[in-house]
Amino acid sequence: MDNIGIFLQIMFWGLYAGCIYILLATGLNLIFGVMKIVNFAHGEFLMIGAYITATVFLLTGINPYVILLLSMLALVGIGAVIERLCFRPILGTGKLNEIFLSIGLIYIFQNGAAMIWGDAWQSVKSPYDGITVPVGSLNVPVDYIIIIAFTAAILIALFLFLKKTRIGMEMRATSQNRKGAKLIGINVERIDIISFGIGCALAAAAGTLWVVSGQVFNPYMGSIPAVKAFAIIILGGLGSIPGAIIGGLLMGIAENSAAYYLGGIWKDAISFIILIIVLVIRPTGLFGEKGE
Amino acid sequence: MEFKRDDLIKYGLVAILAITAAFPFISDSVFLLNLFVLMLISIIFASAWNLLAYSGQGSLGHAAFLGIGAYASTLIAIQSGISPFITIFLGATVAAFIGVLIGLTCVRLKEWFLAMVTFGFAIIVQALTVSILAPMTGGWDGIASPRLVSPSIPGYQLIEYYAILVITIASLIAIWYIMKSRIGLAFLAIRENELEARAAGVDPVRYRLIAFAMSSYLAGVAGALQIHHIGYITPELYGVDNSFWPITFVILGGLGTLAGPVIGTIVLTIIWEGLKATGLTFGRYVIIGFILILTIIFLPKGLVNLPERLQVWWKGRGRKGIRAVPQKE
Repeated sequence: MDNIGIFLQIMFWGLYAGCIYILLATGLNLIFGVMKIVNFAHGEFLMIGAYITATVFLLTGINPYVILLLSMLALVGIGAVIERLCFRPILGTGKLNEIFLSIGLIYIFQNGAAMIWGDAWQSVKSPYDGITVPVGSLNVPVDYIIIIAFTAAILIALFLFLKKTRIGMEMRATSQNRKGAKLIGINVERIDIISFGIGCALAAAAGTLWVVSGQVFNPYMGSIPAVKAFAIIILGGLGSIPGAIIGGLLMGIAENSAAYYLGGIWKDAISFIILIIVLVIRPTGLFGEKGE
Repeated sequence: MEFKRDDLIKYGLVAILAITAAFPFISDSVFLLNLFVLMLISIIFASAWNLLAYSGQGSLGHAAFLGIGAYASTLIAIQSGISPFITIFLGATVAAFIGVLIGLTCVRLKEWFLAMVTFGFAIIVQALTVSILAPMTGGWDGIASPRLVSPSIPGYQLIEYYAILVITIASLIAIWYIMKSRIGLAFLAIRENELEARAAGVDPVRYRLIAFAMSSYLAGVAGALQIHHIGYITPELYGVDNSFWPITFVILGGLGTLAGPVIGTIVLTIIWEGLKATGLTFGRYVIIGFILILTIIFLPKGLVNLPERLQVWWKGRGRKGIRAVPQKE
């Protein structure tokens, strides 16, 4: 393949990887925006979502893109329980406490999943495996196109939910001013649970898309993407969903370029190098001024 | 009351030390000796992390300094032939130097941005070790590291054990002095309220860097000791596990206290080894996770606070409807 072909290929992988980061980062942004908590265990919800999809798919053979909904619903439930039992009791005791608590969650989820599903790398074959669509000079797997479409659809649905529905508006109000929201009669604790649940559902969607793309997964897959998603929302601005989308895409592309040109080991390192450089220049993040 | 508690902890620490020092005379099990060595090293490492947290900075990548200290010490020892007893401190100096550099990027950041940077830094260092530095470090395969005490010397395990015990005690005494000194007060002031600290003439940047230097130095010592004890070093040392362990130890024992890391490390090591006997593999980590979360929610000041909590509960028992809530400081 010529240089431009390789470049396009990398861009496309980046776009696909970016989709996963966008979903994770948007979910985190939602949770951070409303509750102002830092949950480093967010990647574990991605992992659980991935395993739910894979398990149901292997057992029933239902189209995995349909299972996506089931996986998201399941994670709304799990997220609500985690919020109620773990994060609410320590709300307002400091960011470090939240981080320490999420380390406990990481231990529980990763190794609980390993007890249930084993810790080996697995992968499943999507029903559309092997089908490709020519896009320009590239042959793109049809799954990648579906994944990008699904991500776009989920983001648009989330946008409409936040803008048009009552709960969405209450969520935005809470994220703008928690006390003010309380004063006008919004049940902020209910909003907390809902936001956490939706955030987890977005992570489950990311996990499902990870699985159907044919990538390998194991119980420890989630922690690094979650921290990268945090890097993205710091770069893109805390609480800014467009920032998360642009940041996610850039991160996906940067990472795949680094993996191709510098070697696979740099794939994870490059995101943090970018993060550190940006934070040295602008300690509040690229667009971060408001928020916390 | 405060006085009593401090005494309790002081005597407790002395008792623990006495047991550790007398241990080889009680039992001649090599397995237990080895376990005690690793536990002592963990105590140094957890205390190092705790010292940084004492200044209000929570690192999620302390394995980086553990690894840098270990690699630097090993490489210096191999290249120059100097005894590991000296290179441990040279390696730790390298770790402290790099710690200050990372500190420089972190001093202006919010506390949880710092957590991200340190977490990422451990990943970057690991990537460097297995790529650009691979000719020196042996890449993923790692390299052999000179033993602290050569196995050809009779009784080398005991010499090593006591050497590590002495270094651990020296580290704890040093940390105790730091915490009691003006520097320790400055750390506390910055942690509690940076603005007020500044108003009182404490330069937060300077003291944060001091905390980073001291903490990464001790972490480097712990890493070098571990590697010279095991005799082999691989990049696994930079793993996320090694960054999370000290946090778990310290939170369980009591954040920001001298005795916390010691007690936390000992209790968790006992639990960990006890669980090993039950044949659990992943389940052990799940239990550690539950212990960590329950501690954060129900015992936020850790096990060192347990006697007080029990006292409050004991006085409050019998009175229906009145819950024993410990007073906030």
